[in-house]
Amino acid sequence: MISIKLLASMLLFSAIVLAAGCGGGGGGNPAPIDVVTDGSTPANVMAVTVNGSLCSASSYLNKPCVSVTICNPDLSVCQTVDDILLDTGSYGLRIFQQAIPSLALPQVANGTGSLTGCVQFADGSSLWGPIKRAAVKLGTEPAVTMPIQVIDATFGTLPLPCANADPSPVSSGFSGILGVGVLAEDCGPGCVFSSANGIYYSCIGTSCTGTTVALADQVQNPVARLPVDNNGLLVRFPEVPVSGVPSLDGSVIFGIGTRTNNTPVAPTVFPTDQNGDFRTIFNGINTVGFLDTGSNGLFFPNADPTVLPVCEAPNADWYCPPLARALLATSVGANGSPSQNVSFSVSNFLTLVASPNNVFSNVAGPSTFGFDWGLPFFMGRDVFFGIEGTTSPLGAGPYVAY
Amino acid sequence: MNLRRVTIYLSLGLVTLVAPRWSEATLGEPAESIARDGEALSAVARSSTSRTGYTIAEISSATTCIREYVTTSGTVFAVAWNGLAHPDLSVLLGSYNQEYRDALGRQPRRLGRRQTQVKSDRVVVETWGHMRNLQGRAYLPELVPEGVSLYDIH
Repeated sequence: MISIKLLASMLLFSAIVLAAGCGGGGGGNPAPIDVVTDGSTPANVMAVTVNGSLCSASSYLNKPCVSVTICNPDLSVCQTVDDILLDTGSYGLRIFQQAIPSLALPQVANGTGSLTGCVQFADGSSLWGPIKRAAVKLGTEPAVTMPIQVIDATFGTLPLPCANADPSPVSSGFSGILGVGVLAEDCGPGCVFSSANGIYYSCIGTSCTGTTVALADQVQNPVARLPVDNNGLLVRFPEVPVSGVPSLDGSVIFGIGTRTNNTPVAPTVFPTDQNGDFRTIFNGINTVGFLDTGSNGLFFPNADPTVLPVCEAPNADWYCPPLARALLATSVGANGSPSQNVSFSVSNFLTLVASPNNVFSNVAGPSTFGFDWGLPFFMGRDVFFGIEGTTSPLGAGPYVAY
Repeated sequence: MNLRRVTIYLSLGLVTLVAPRWSEATLGEPAESIARDGEALSAVARSSTSRTGYTIAEISSATTCIREYVTTSGTVFAVAWNGLAHPDLSVLLGSYNQEYRDALGRQPRRLGRRQTQVKSDRVVVETWGHMRNLQGRAYLPELVPEGVSLYDIH
């Protein structure tokens, strides 16, 4: 067995060799590609805490938080921001203006105006603000300059889809959101060809109108822009006991099969469609399924109410079974294969949250359609996300694997 | 049922995506009520599918698909959508919009969720999904034809 120290030395050596040929990652500042900072933590690892030290106080349950360093493109000023939601259900870094007061980030131009984004979420909320270039550092990966969204509801005039844009971290429940799912941009081809996309606007003064945006100017999945570990990521959380824990430490490891620490051991690979969805069958109903660290429970339709009754109001959006339920669903690749059973459990939400704990592997609630495999799914698993347009030992993205 | 009329009506629904100020239309109304505003659209009717007890007409813009569920007597009893952005519900809900807004306003925000359901006396509005594939539906429970499963509306 290779010792950690030896491994670290090998990585450092490979970093020196690789650095010669790769130059900077886009930040204009040539940096070593694989810095081993302390002899044991590889550059491609980012800490995640669920309701732990990286989250703001009074965070909602099952909230995975990371810390991201954001700099002016010339690296003259940097700010490290905690309380950033790790979200495999979206793409790109978005951060509240309030969290980065010291930075002066250049705005991305669009025609004669400045590019501005409106992101709607499935719960009906939205985030609005200018698209700016920033040097983004994930873990101790090299800084890479890319378009991000600076969330600012006071910018310009809110268009209709963002009329309810969140004004502050308190309203959103996070200081920022790091979207690292299987797609490379937040909008993709739909915004390259159509100006009535409801997402991108060109603002001149306070007047903002819908606009087309080249892929390179769209908000980027930061993992897809890394110099080496850009073909995906691995999300890793330990198991959680049935009664929950106060907080949980996990990690995101960038790259798939690019280093010894992200080499997969034969997971099942589920190709996704162009939206990042595969299929999930539960109780005989076949719906879209997606793996989403940004959802704080398992949410699915078609539960038998005698098995999974919802809780009394005002918590009727959670299940409250009288006994813990062991359940089974089937994951299916977007193209029909592979097909594999997945077991999960659901306990009484009200009983669980009556404890001092904040992190639970067995909280679930109803949804209308689509199986939302939220954070509980990730506990006790290694889950891989293969980014579109890349390949790895697991195949060509987009895919999820576990 | 006059399919052409329904098609025009359904096309008008797409105004949600391209001309947000449109106030005519939709849920609970007959096809005739909206034929007056036909020109404004840059969307196309893609298909019309007959099912037992209702018809689904699908229209799409570059970024969002809307499916309208129409009873055999020509009344829209449900609307479903998916795409890059949610459509303007004030248009899709028409005269039901205010009671939806009121119900929404009474509902506390649930952080960490990727779906929501808002029920008023007469209309149910549900949204779900994630970036690149936002989805939702609105329906009038009292007008859903007998024998039609809500699971078919999505």
